[in-house]
Amino acid sequence: MTGKTPLSTPLLSVGGLSLAVTHSGNQVVKNVSFDIAPGEIVGIVGESGSGKTLATRAIIGLIPPAVRHVGGTILYRGKDVLGMKDRDLRQLRGGEVGVVFQEPMTSLNPSMTIGRQLEEGLILHTKMSVEERRAAILSMLTRVGIREPERALTAYPHEFSGGMRQRIMLASVMLLKPALLIADEPTTALDAVVQRDVMELMVELTQAEGTAVLLISHDLPMVARYTNRFVVMEKGVVVEQGLTEEILQAPQHPYTRKLLSSLPYRGTARELDMTRTPMVSARNIVVEYPGRKGLFRKHAPKRALHGVSVDIHVGEVVALVGGSGSGKTTLGRTIAGLVQQTEGEILFQGRERSADWRDYRLNCQMVFQDPYSSLDPRMTIQALVEEALRLVPDLDTPAKRRRALETLEEVGLSADFANRYPHELSGGQRQRVAIARAIARRPKFLIADEPVSALDVTVRAQVLELFSNLQKRYGFSCLFISHDLGVVEQVADRVIVMQDGRIIEEGDRDLIFDAPKEAYTRKLLSAIPALDLNQTGGVTLKWRLEA
Amino acid sequence: MRKLTFNGVIGGGLIGLLVLVALIGLVWTPYDPMALGFTARLAAPGVAHWLGTDEFGRDVASRLMVGARASVWIGFLTVTFAVVCGTFIGIVSGYARGWVDGVIMAINNALLAFPGILLALGLLAVFGANQYGIIFALGIAYTPSMARVVRGAVLSLREREFIEASRVMGNGEIYTMLRHILPNCVAPITVLATSMFGWAILSESALSFLGLGVPPPAPTWGNMLAAGRPFIEQAVWLGFFPGLCIALTLLGINLLGDALRDKLDPRMRGLK
Repeated sequence: MTGKTPLSTPLLSVGGLSLAVTHSGNQVVKNVSFDIAPGEIVGIVGESGSGKTLATRAIIGLIPPAVRHVGGTILYRGKDVLGMKDRDLRQLRGGEVGVVFQEPMTSLNPSMTIGRQLEEGLILHTKMSVEERRAAILSMLTRVGIREPERALTAYPHEFSGGMRQRIMLASVMLLKPALLIADEPTTALDAVVQRDVMELMVELTQAEGTAVLLISHDLPMVARYTNRFVVMEKGVVVEQGLTEEILQAPQHPYTRKLLSSLPYRGTARELDMTRTPMVSARNIVVEYPGRKGLFRKHAPKRALHGVSVDIHVGEVVALVGGSGSGKTTLGRTIAGLVQQTEGEILFQGRERSADWRDYRLNCQMVFQDPYSSLDPRMTIQALVEEALRLVPDLDTPAKRRRALETLEEVGLSADFANRYPHELSGGQRQRVAIARAIARRPKFLIADEPVSALDVTVRAQVLELFSNLQKRYGFSCLFISHDLGVVEQVADRVIVMQDGRIIEEGDRDLIFDAPKEAYTRKLLSAIPALDLNQTGGVTLKWRLEA
Repeated sequence: MRKLTFNGVIGGGLIGLLVLVALIGLVWTPYDPMALGFTARLAAPGVAHWLGTDEFGRDVASRLMVGARASVWIGFLTVTFAVVCGTFIGIVSGYARGWVDGVIMAINNALLAFPGILLALGLLAVFGANQYGIIFALGIAYTPSMARVVRGAVLSLREREFIEASRVMGNGEIYTMLRHILPNCVAPITVLATSMFGWAILSESALSFLGLGVPPPAPTWGNMLAAGRPFIEQAVWLGFFPGLCIALTLLGINLLGDALRDKLDPRMRGLK
């Protein structure tokens, strides 16, 4: 189970760490052990509830008040972190061990300039003079790829995009040249391309400084790409750890195998009749958000879509991919009728949809990204699904009730879920409800906006499979919006790549994935691996080259 | 799922008792609450007069029982008025946005800038000082704060995906407001309504104190409290018992409000 022991003495050694919830005595981290050698990159992979974040918070002595340490040690350079005084802990945090959190939107203080925030750590942990600090900050900002570092010093966090913020966060941590960097889902909130850029930067910087990295993520391919060793956690227990290559090739534990088999694989190519009138076609769609008339200046209107045309054929699943700001969500919402287009027309079965809105509404449904906010918290599961049938003609109340229960059954929720409320369900179950609600009407066309992005890896695989099965059974056409190309590779028949409100490339899935023409498409593809499953349940990850 | 909470039992008990006393007061009181008794003026609480008598020799207990009805009625109707109008205005304003929201909120903010009691005073001058005048005046005075709270809740709710989901389903605006927005506003409405009930009873006493409340000799807790003030040194019970009634009622309402809010919100169920 253990891989090759590191040659030098470990920088950090976690031994038999156990943490329990104080009031219930529930152990949420059980007997976790792993080592990190100086300069090494080690990953921790696990789904939500695996205890990976809690275990790593303990390393810097940040155990939440509701949790108690019940056993084991955390040795940093031979000293026990759990027994340290507050003063020593503060010295350790930031100075010795840096942390990059998941959410770049909230981990920077919105009311402080970037310069002040970066300086804070230097004032606390070094004896640099004002000029030295300034020089150090400027050179670090340049290194993390901030274009105008001078200007950035006086700028506030909201002036930067998510990716830039995460770079700034990284800069603030690396300024202090820590011996260990803990990166907790550092790129989960970013889109695929930016994700990869930030990861590359992080690895490059830490390697240059000789900083060890503990990379925590639910994204197994990403961890595998950058680490030499990793640890797999499930429900607070380390189920497997070892060299990355060995685990990938021959996973020992069933859970690791399950994680690997949950990675999206390429679906089979289908023959579709493309000669019939498209189910939905959007022609030259332009969406403009009106400029605001401010007190002192007028803001120009912002164009989110620059004349985009899309056809979705009968029974076809079309994936709309692109980074954030590419306009893919706006296009989806426009087709759903949630956003009014400035120009262009949308045809449903060959007729302008406004000719019969009622018919369009009955036949066009949508699944939203966030299953936590797309279900009314005050309605039971059954009421939620039944509501979708409210406007369906030719169905009486008992028939609607029956249909609702049937549909719930179809998405894998038994009848005893019917009277529960959304908050009693897990994320995956909620998304099943959202899917049930969308298909209860038997729509001809479905828009799915990042339907699995908020779900854990194994749950994502199950929901995707459910989606594919339902699509095959009912044959609805689908516009599948996603930034995750892995998911797209599994479900889509055709792929449309968007950037800056324009379509830059489109074609059959296999064509786009195997022979992309545009540089941007290649860049998107370079962020995800091609999988090769072997007989023992292991995989080989092949990364596509950007060039 | 019918678990009784401490809040619910105490709050429900207090309010139940109040309603019971008010109902009994309709048909029976120990003495005639209006009967003047020159033999026993300012009598201390005792066997004959449980809670003593006032400066005209009227029985305090009887007057409290009758006053309960007036106070509770005023509080209840005022809050109902404010909740209905405020919720309606708040939902329309928050859901419509744009110029509708601008106009409604401009008026609302202007009303909010007035102290509630001053506004009520002005309105009372128009409607005349009687029970329904008070209800109307206080109701109008409280509507803006309710509208504001509801609008805030609606603004944050309408950005949630389940509202968009409702639009995609083809549901009309009115249906969406009633089915999805309104039920999700219940928690803030309940919290505000229960404290409003308290303010209403207190404002009624304040108005009575200023001579603009329910005119004497008809008793309300407010005007009894006001009437007891000059005698606070000789006969503390004149002010004490109406005050105690108001305090216990407010406590009961607030506890009941908390319990109701928890009960009405499915997310709070199953939490200990």
